[in-house]
Amino acid sequence: MSHNAISDAASSQQAFDGRETDSSSVPSSRLNPTEANPTEANLVERYSYDDDIVRWFVFATIFWGLVATSMGVLVAVLLVSPELAGNFRSEFAAVLSFARLRPLHTNAAIFAFAGNGIFAAIYYSTQRLCKARMWSDALSRLHFWGWQGIIVAAAWTLPLGITQSKEYAELEWPIDIAIAIVWLLFFGTNFMMTLIHRRERHMYVALWFYIASIVTVTILHGFNNLVVPVGLGKSYPIYAGVQDALMQWWYGHNLVAFFLTMPFLGLMYYFLPKAADRPVFSYKLSIIHFWSLVFICIWAGPHHLHYTALPQWASTLGMLFGLMLWMPSWAGMINGLLTLRGAWHKVAADPVLKFFVVGIAFYGMSSFEGSMLSIKSVNALSHYTDWTIAHVHTAALGWNGFMTFGMIYWLLPRLYQTKLYSTKLAEWHFWIGTIAILLYIIPIHIAGITQGMMWRELTPKGDLANTFMDTVPVMIPFWWTRVFAGVLYVLGIVLLAYNALRTWMSRPRTYDVPVYSTPRLSPGYLEPVQDTSPLSGVPVLDLATKIDRFNRMNWHRTWEHLPLKFTLMTTLAVVVASALELVPMFLIRSNIPTINTVKPYTPLEIAGRDIYVSEGCYNCHSQMIRPMVAEKLMYGEYSKPGESVYDHPFQWGSRRIGPDLARIGITQQSGYWHWKHFESPSSVTRGSVMPSFRHLLEEKLNFAQIEPRVAANKYLHPEYPYDVSKSEELAKEQAEKVAAEIISLGGPVDYNGHLIEDSTAIALIAYLKRLGTDLFKTQDPKAPAEPPATPVAGIQ
Amino acid sequence: MNNSPPNQNPSATTHPGPMAHSYDGICTYDNPIPRWWKWLFILTVLFSPFYLLYYHVGAPNRSVHERFTAALDANQKKKYLELGPLTPDSNTLVTYMGKKEWMDVGRSIYKLNCVSCHGPEGGGVIGPNLCDENYKHIKKIEDIAKVINEGVAGGAMPAWATRIPDKNDIVMVSAYVASLRGTSPANAKGPDGSPISAWPEDLEPGSTQD
Repeated sequence: MSHNAISDAASSQQAFDGRETDSSSVPSSRLNPTEANPTEANLVERYSYDDDIVRWFVFATIFWGLVATSMGVLVAVLLVSPELAGNFRSEFAAVLSFARLRPLHTNAAIFAFAGNGIFAAIYYSTQRLCKARMWSDALSRLHFWGWQGIIVAAAWTLPLGITQSKEYAELEWPIDIAIAIVWLLFFGTNFMMTLIHRRERHMYVALWFYIASIVTVTILHGFNNLVVPVGLGKSYPIYAGVQDALMQWWYGHNLVAFFLTMPFLGLMYYFLPKAADRPVFSYKLSIIHFWSLVFICIWAGPHHLHYTALPQWASTLGMLFGLMLWMPSWAGMINGLLTLRGAWHKVAADPVLKFFVVGIAFYGMSSFEGSMLSIKSVNALSHYTDWTIAHVHTAALGWNGFMTFGMIYWLLPRLYQTKLYSTKLAEWHFWIGTIAILLYIIPIHIAGITQGMMWRELTPKGDLANTFMDTVPVMIPFWWTRVFAGVLYVLGIVLLAYNALRTWMSRPRTYDVPVYSTPRLSPGYLEPVQDTSPLSGVPVLDLATKIDRFNRMNWHRTWEHLPLKFTLMTTLAVVVASALELVPMFLIRSNIPTINTVKPYTPLEIAGRDIYVSEGCYNCHSQMIRPMVAEKLMYGEYSKPGESVYDHPFQWGSRRIGPDLARIGITQQSGYWHWKHFESPSSVTRGSVMPSFRHLLEEKLNFAQIEPRVAANKYLHPEYPYDVSKSEELAKEQAEKVAAEIISLGGPVDYNGHLIEDSTAIALIAYLKRLGTDLFKTQDPKAPAEPPATPVAGIQ
Repeated sequence: MNNSPPNQNPSATTHPGPMAHSYDGICTYDNPIPRWWKWLFILTVLFSPFYLLYYHVGAPNRSVHERFTAALDANQKKKYLELGPLTPDSNTLVTYMGKKEWMDVGRSIYKLNCVSCHGPEGGGVIGPNLCDENYKHIKKIEDIAKVINEGVAGGAMPAWATRIPDKNDIVMVSAYVASLRGTSPANAKGPDGSPISAWPEDLEPGSTQD
């Protein structure tokens, strides 16, 4: 075969990545007659790879890695010393709050750091696995700059309180549209067209994972972000309460699966055997675990909502599929680690492999832990505690972080066509990073389990042994350890950045761009029938031979050269599984039994709720009391599905850094208390870690903004009882009442130069005073509401 | 970096070498799926229908809410089993003020519900100081229970009867609040309201407070 003629240009490149340029797309031994057609074989095409785009994505990965982890350290510090922000003027203090910056940390870690990391991996490996340049350089660049623009937009809007408040889907609708365009139209199209124009007949397993990721993230993102917009910076999800929660955690769980796991498995399948120079352990295992992950993951979302107002059948599905995920997840680990059989001596010498091995080990640990946490009784303890935080950081720092670092250290000398500046520094990064992860996850696991145990601890007489505030000081030492661990982890990335910079500085003046040539794929290819079954010719049932053939995966081999069919099957698996779970929740009325006394929010309460969302209160406070004795004692009657039917978006929360607020309207009825508490939480509650929200007292509420928001709520709930055109009047009326009550109890008449009834805080207080009260109201004197202690029927 | 030809004929396996094909130099073995993996996977799948059948075919006392209700009942019964229903009259309050084990119960209820306004030791935050000799809405000891049950000052002190449904809990927390009188916590608020006469004496001799 002569398609190797230009190998002189490639010879210098070979030294960097050990690529053998003569691997033809189809080994001659397996050519079928069509392929061997001389006219077809002569259609040799010349191409080179676009490594510039990979260099850019690698740079962005390191840069955003520094930003994301530094933000993590900042929010960790703000958590233990909330008074820090108080040193600044209140406009800055408002921004410098844990609740507004924590989403920035999570979004930066997921979409900026891990996102750019997987793009680097995909752009580098896809071109080589397809023996084709990316289909469109222009789309590659649009993808790169579009994505960075989205990240900057996120970093701009989140600190200002522009948020949808759904975890990892906080970005408002204009940015969501940009994400859809960049992800699907720029990235997805470019990727799919590259697959179609590939010169390698079969798609390697890494590509399967990329396909699944692109398809599923598009679906998740699209359906979870359906909103009714009110201006550029505010929207209401079309779903409310239970349904919104289900959609959100369908999204949240599968974002972890299809954004933080699948592409990273693809990364592993390419870069690990490359770095270790070993064949992948098992082809069969990769097929089984790919398809089982795709099909099972999508069901598992509801295990993030155990013991909530979500119907029990959904919760059970979430648990069972979560358990079933254990082995498919571990198959990735097995295939990764067993690929290193016979190469373990290399691990000792090569920091790249060290990062990979430890990364895969953390993947094994966190996916096992994930399955365990999806068991209801384990989740009963872990939910709302730092256990969850420790779990995600095991995965984020260990799996996503270390796989990315390993890949970057492997790529640097190849991309910059020189030696890595310092292997020793890379070794240091590895050890510092590993210690940082352990120093993070061990104390935070202990913190989570401790707090969970303290919350549920009862005295011999059956009373709560601890109040919520009793548990907070116990957390502080663990939280300080986390700050230290975070600093160490950032330090590791600083070493990486320095190493990358020095490697870049010793790059050649112009990069060598090797040109390859490979025959074009001929149309009409038929998968050769592999009839090597030991059963053929043996007098057994036809069925037995068929099963044996099936087990040999030849059918899958056929799919692998049909990218469109493969994509279609993946989409089908995801869509069918999603529909089976989501559709019943929307169609079956008994899922959310209505409660007659639960009524829509007043205009002022809507405004207050929007502030609650915007300030990110959900980052620290849940609004979902679970049916457990200790929770009943601590917070009151457990939350019913019918109570959140007007909640766009739902605010159930996922972590109780502060106490649950689902019944705050009953447990704290004094507006004056709230006023003082917002001004200075720790002066009201000794030992409180809540920062001051003085800016809510100082700022004036924009009453003119209320009407369009009320109109949006009316649009979502035609039965909305208040007159939309009178929203502003109604809101002012209620604000006066709330303010009068505060003044009557000793509160100030004016604040920061305006009457307190104009304060933003008044709307928020009106909302808090309403929270959780409707359940206990009587509809009219003749028909009293159901007694609160009896569970609402219809939940099985 | 290793410059030897990659992925060539590793013969260290019991299975035929890597499959003929290579992708950018990456080969794959056709190794079988580990048996332990296969069986654990099958087990997790098989577990599901049994779990579903056990919890979701409508058998009584298996749903989360039924089990919660039962646990709550048991918890509530356990607490006042030996006492029976109490009424918050002067005698009862004074009696339980002197019983340490019941004042621990009172303190639990107090810590859970009252701390945010009256402070951890009763010194007062938004609400008045409960430790000094001055009271705003209380003349006699049984008024404490009345104020807790019904609330005062337009809801600033809410009615706790809905929130604390067990009447005995109200008795215990009222007695505990009464017992705070005369203590002197740090950072206490100044007096509020007017002084009232001392609580009546304990009729049951021999009991000591705290």
